[in-house]
Amino acid sequence: MLEAIDLTKHYNGSPALNGLNLLIQPGEVFCLLGANGAGKTTTINLFLNFVEPTSGTARIKGLDVTQHPLETKKYIAYIPEQVMLYRNLSGLENLEYFTALAGRSDYTREQMLQFFDQVGLAREAAAQRVGTYSKGMRQKVGIAIALAKKAEALLLDEPTSGLDPKASNEFSSLIKKMSDAGVATLMTTHDLFRAKESGTRVGIMKHGSLVATLATTEIGHTDLERIYLEHMHD
Amino acid sequence: MIATIAKKEMTEMFRDGRFRLASAVVAILLLASLAAGWKQYANLKNQHDTAQRAERTNWLGQKPKNPHQGAHYGVYAFKPKSQLSTVDTGVDPYVGVAVYLEAHKQNEFKFRPAQDAATSIQRFGELTAAVVLQVLIPLLIILLAFSTFAGEREQGTLRQLLSLGVERTHLSMGKALGVAGALAVVIVPATLIGVFALALTSGSGLLAVDVARTFLMVGAYSLYFLIFLALSLAVSAWSSSSRVALVVLLSFWIVNSLIATRAFSDLAGFLHPTPSEVEFDTTLQRDLADTKGLDAKLDEIKAGLFQKYGVNKLDDLPVNFRAISLQEAEEHGFTIFEKHFGNVFDRFEEQNAVYQWGGVIAPLLAVRSLSMGLAGTDFAHHRHFTTAAENYRRTIIKHMNDDIFIHPTKAGEEYVADAELWKKVPEFQYEAPGASWALSHYKTSIALLLLWLLSGTVVVAVASRRVQA
Repeated sequence: MLEAIDLTKHYNGSPALNGLNLLIQPGEVFCLLGANGAGKTTTINLFLNFVEPTSGTARIKGLDVTQHPLETKKYIAYIPEQVMLYRNLSGLENLEYFTALAGRSDYTREQMLQFFDQVGLAREAAAQRVGTYSKGMRQKVGIAIALAKKAEALLLDEPTSGLDPKASNEFSSLIKKMSDAGVATLMTTHDLFRAKESGTRVGIMKHGSLVATLATTEIGHTDLERIYLEHMHD
Repeated sequence: MIATIAKKEMTEMFRDGRFRLASAVVAILLLASLAAGWKQYANLKNQHDTAQRAERTNWLGQKPKNPHQGAHYGVYAFKPKSQLSTVDTGVDPYVGVAVYLEAHKQNEFKFRPAQDAATSIQRFGELTAAVVLQVLIPLLIILLAFSTFAGEREQGTLRQLLSLGVERTHLSMGKALGVAGALAVVIVPATLIGVFALALTSGSGLLAVDVARTFLMVGAYSLYFLIFLALSLAVSAWSSSSRVALVVLLSFWIVNSLIATRAFSDLAGFLHPTPSEVEFDTTLQRDLADTKGLDAKLDEIKAGLFQKYGVNKLDDLPVNFRAISLQEAEEHGFTIFEKHFGNVFDRFEEQNAVYQWGGVIAPLLAVRSLSMGLAGTDFAHHRHFTTAAENYRRTIIKHMNDDIFIHPTKAGEEYVADAELWKKVPEFQYEAPGASWALSHYKTSIALLLLWLLSGTVVVAVASRRVQA
């Protein structure tokens, strides 16, 4: 579903991402770990075609994102560290707007509200302006947009950083539900615990290269921390 | 898609207190200026109609007297107020609205409100609807549009929109439509109220409104607003931040509405200077005093008449030679007045041309020229009326002199005409020229406005295609 082939990005000659090869299947949750500047966000931006690769290709559902910038975006949903919404619009209006712009304006009001139910947002909140929303609520709206869009792949850029443990846990279980339904997920995070809990695989990045890939079922949480720190040690 | 984007933009704007305040202020100013313009129009139209009727009554009511005294008695001709002067008073306050038509001289116009303006505020200029449309609405457009792209980029919502696979051109079209829609809420009601108010004043309902000119004026201002809309969106798409966008757009607004107007009037005056009033009078009087050609011509005519009727004394002629000498003197004057006034008028028109070309830098100059033209308050219309009034003056004089001509008098006698003669002079009728005549003077402005819109559209298309998250 999400595929990187020798994906490389240089900024003014210095490498941000070095020959990344990655294949994420439907239902998989791949967590990218690594220090700031390791190339995690660059990878997400390359999949979004927000930056041009220096070489290599990023593919979504087999389509090169630079060749099909609009079509490949139909299959994905992007949730950044902070989901940005229009503060003068209500939660529902935001959802309706983003969903319509994603090309789906065929939902009834009731169906829209059901997306709020699914992500655990109260219906009263749907009618409120999002200026009053907490960060956790905004992230849930992000998921609701992904659900309404019927995204087949999720690109999550540190989606849980700054969330309290409860909100973070709720967010993870929503991701889990979607991956159970067959959605492929690429998530960057600093949270080893979260990566182990919700990821099916984790990749450790350093200086723009993927230095290790592990299946979360095969390692314990302490193992993951040890391996991660070993790699971070220069 | 585009409609959805437009609707969201409008919803956001209407919920924004700053937008509501700015729109309310502009809407109130527009309505107030229209109301003031309408009141002035209604008053002046009434006054002019009354005065013109009174002039006719006075003319017809003259006591029996020599026709030449009738010509001296003269009449006032009032320039009819055009309906659209409600919107744009143009040069009327400066060039005057009435002219005294009398024997021997072509007068300058009188009743110039600008000359009578007592306070400095009045001198600064009135707040006409034209000023609101030309200066304030562009400012409102800038305030509505400067953050459309740059603001969303700062908020991070642009990134999310682009991640949805939205076409950038749809985005800018939707935003353009949204701002246009919000603007329409401010302008359309005022426009409709204005048109209806005019229709009511005119007395004969909507049919009496000059439809062609009204539509053209709406078109001209729409064009002007679209230019500002396109430029604002383009700058917003191009700027690194909404602050930069606002500064760039406000700078352009200042050049457009404050600097260029002044700079180009000065440039026009410098390139095509008009003589001072003293200079004008001196040269005019000098030419009028030079009657050598006239005297020779009169001698020639006199000799011809003596020969024709076989007489050698003026008193023996079966026609009144005084009429010929009066008429010839007038015609000697006509050419000189035509030359001197024509010369000054031509300078004004050259100045107007320079001003119109200023539209290359500031679209305001183009739309201002065009607006006055369509309102019938520009210099071209003034000149058109001046010519008609001058022709009427000549008609009066000709009637008087023709009457003297067929009533020969002996030395010491005086011929006296009565009301029959006054009635023979037709009433002064003035028909303002049509809309296409008005447009024909503003080809430069129209072309420049279209060019601005075209380049604005190209720039916004390019800029929105390049928008980066």
